[in-house]
Amino acid sequence: MNIKASGLKRILFTVVIALVIGAVLILMIGENPIEAYQALFKGAFKGKFGFGNTVATFTPLLLTSIAFAVAAQAGAFNVGVEGEVFLGGIAAAYIGVNFTFLPKPILLITCFLGAMVVAGAWATIPAVLKAYYGVSEVCTTILMNTVAVYITSYLVSGPMSAGTANAQSHSVAVNLPQFMKPSSANVGVFIAIVIVVLVAIMLYKTKFGYKIRVVGTNPAFADCIGINSKKVFINSMILSGAIGGIAGCIEVLGVHGYFLNNFAVGLGSNGMLAALIARSNVVLTPFLAFFLSILKAGAMGMQQSTGVPKALVDTIIAIFIIVATMETLFEFKKKIKRKVKKEKGEAKA
Amino acid sequence: MSAIIENVDKIFNVSLIYATFRSATPIIFAALCAALTQQANILNIGTEGIMLVGSFTAVGVSYLTGNWVIGVLAAMISGAFIASIMAVGHIKYNAEICAIGMGINMLALAVTKLLLNVIFKTNGTFSDPKIVPIPKVHFAFMDDIPVLNQLLNNWSITEWLAIVLILVLQFLFYKTVWGLRLRAVGQFAMAAQTAGIKVTQIKYQAMIASGLMGGLAGAHLSLGYSTQFVENMTNNRGFMGVAAMYFGGANPILTALGCLLFGFADSVGARLQAYGIPSQFVLMMPYIVTIVILAISMYVKYRNNKRKESSLLAPKAQLKTQG
Repeated sequence: MNIKASGLKRILFTVVIALVIGAVLILMIGENPIEAYQALFKGAFKGKFGFGNTVATFTPLLLTSIAFAVAAQAGAFNVGVEGEVFLGGIAAAYIGVNFTFLPKPILLITCFLGAMVVAGAWATIPAVLKAYYGVSEVCTTILMNTVAVYITSYLVSGPMSAGTANAQSHSVAVNLPQFMKPSSANVGVFIAIVIVVLVAIMLYKTKFGYKIRVVGTNPAFADCIGINSKKVFINSMILSGAIGGIAGCIEVLGVHGYFLNNFAVGLGSNGMLAALIARSNVVLTPFLAFFLSILKAGAMGMQQSTGVPKALVDTIIAIFIIVATMETLFEFKKKIKRKVKKEKGEAKA
Repeated sequence: MSAIIENVDKIFNVSLIYATFRSATPIIFAALCAALTQQANILNIGTEGIMLVGSFTAVGVSYLTGNWVIGVLAAMISGAFIASIMAVGHIKYNAEICAIGMGINMLALAVTKLLLNVIFKTNGTFSDPKIVPIPKVHFAFMDDIPVLNQLLNNWSITEWLAIVLILVLQFLFYKTVWGLRLRAVGQFAMAAQTAGIKVTQIKYQAMIASGLMGGLAGAHLSLGYSTQFVENMTNNRGFMGVAAMYFGGANPILTALGCLLFGFADSVGARLQAYGIPSQFVLMMPYIVTIVILAISMYVKYRNNKRKESSLLAPKAQLKTQG
């Protein structure tokens, strides 16, 4: 069996296990699991609003999951995508509000570039600390997420505030058009898909992508064959940050039209989960991101039409991850087969 | 700014010492939880989740039984249970520790939210007069002694326990056979195995002990530090504990000193807020301090290591720092 097929099989297994454990939990609450799952999928697909919601949830998840996966390919565990989404969002909002002298198409591009630069720069800090001094990037990025949230929160309630009751910035002068109203699905989803395709091509077809993968597999080997592993590590983190920044930019320009305080809580970590389940395989990750967004978008529908709380879906997703991370969990079958063969061999002898 | 300079004696006074210790204790417990596994070379990213589950269990059981001791014990057991999920995943099924740790954190957040909805039928916060908190230790003779009264009186029992546990762990790690084995496993598992130490068993023991400690951390947070459960009430304290553990190199006493630094930043920040510093700056201060301290301590370690390596081994040293 080749690696991709076994990976797919493993993921299907984990999906089933997670859904079964979820069903048991629903039974324990005293609800009907089949009805609950039906309501979940209905909520995610029914009508323009339902499916639009799924697409709107999918857009940032796709980008953040790919952002995590790119860093993971170089061996970094970048929990900081969330903070990068926030900072990308605030940069896009600042440019979108203040640079109105630019013609609209250029303003749009400037927003994206600004978001990428700011978020990329933010990701550079933990990358450099890890590459040169061995400071755990897991720790620094988690702490920096909170710092990023507070920085943006200060900016939208202080200097950049629109003066409304909710802490938010002024409306940006340029928007990504929404389709499938009343949901907030917007053309950002196509931008996200294009970026994911570009990243996949970059990883598997270019020299830089090759370097990233080598550094991720074995940095010592990379250094021996003349790849500067530290530089590649930092660059991949910057790339990861920039993708996170784009996610923030799309959320601000496409969904809200302004920077809303705390708008992106959970976007980064959910993306990370999708990537973790797929072991940062860039091809599989988008599908898992889509699956998670179905669960997330349908959860509201499930809560409304049955008595099952939304938090149950998060529990299922968490179980999903824990099962998925256990690499050798599904090898028990092989072991049994091997044992049987051995015994047979002994019997013959 | 001038307001701060004028009121400097109100910001830095005797009560700041206890305020520092008080906000440091939850982090101290969390850091000890992380240190226990770190000695066996397992990075316990799940500290946050273990702690959160502990907080929830402590409040829930204390509310249902009306007894804080049972609440704390239940919290410790629940912590050990969560840690053993992680231990089985990591040790038996070869899960990447960061990945499963983050999974555990997510699970803790989701499960506590779910149970809050299902059992206590509320959202966000659960507080009730029937929750019995961890009692405070009151010394009657100190009431009339001004400084001591402010400094040492009315600590919660778990705050005293924190100091005891720091010393106990210090002894356990560096003066007992189990500690020696634990450190041997952490430094070079294969050599430890060759010497006849049961590596897997020690790793499991470290994880379970860490879970007990993490549960206690959560119980202190929800029954000692406050008397309620709030969704995500650990609020990154677990991660700050992990950072402090890095700062102290998993040595309990040094680790606790790191925690006190965060506590100091936290409580000075809270006081500065009264003098016109935006709340967000105050709130982010402990995080920035953590990152800076972490960076400095790792930089110092890196430089020392480099100095130790002989110049002949220089290329090898470079490789080591990347691992």
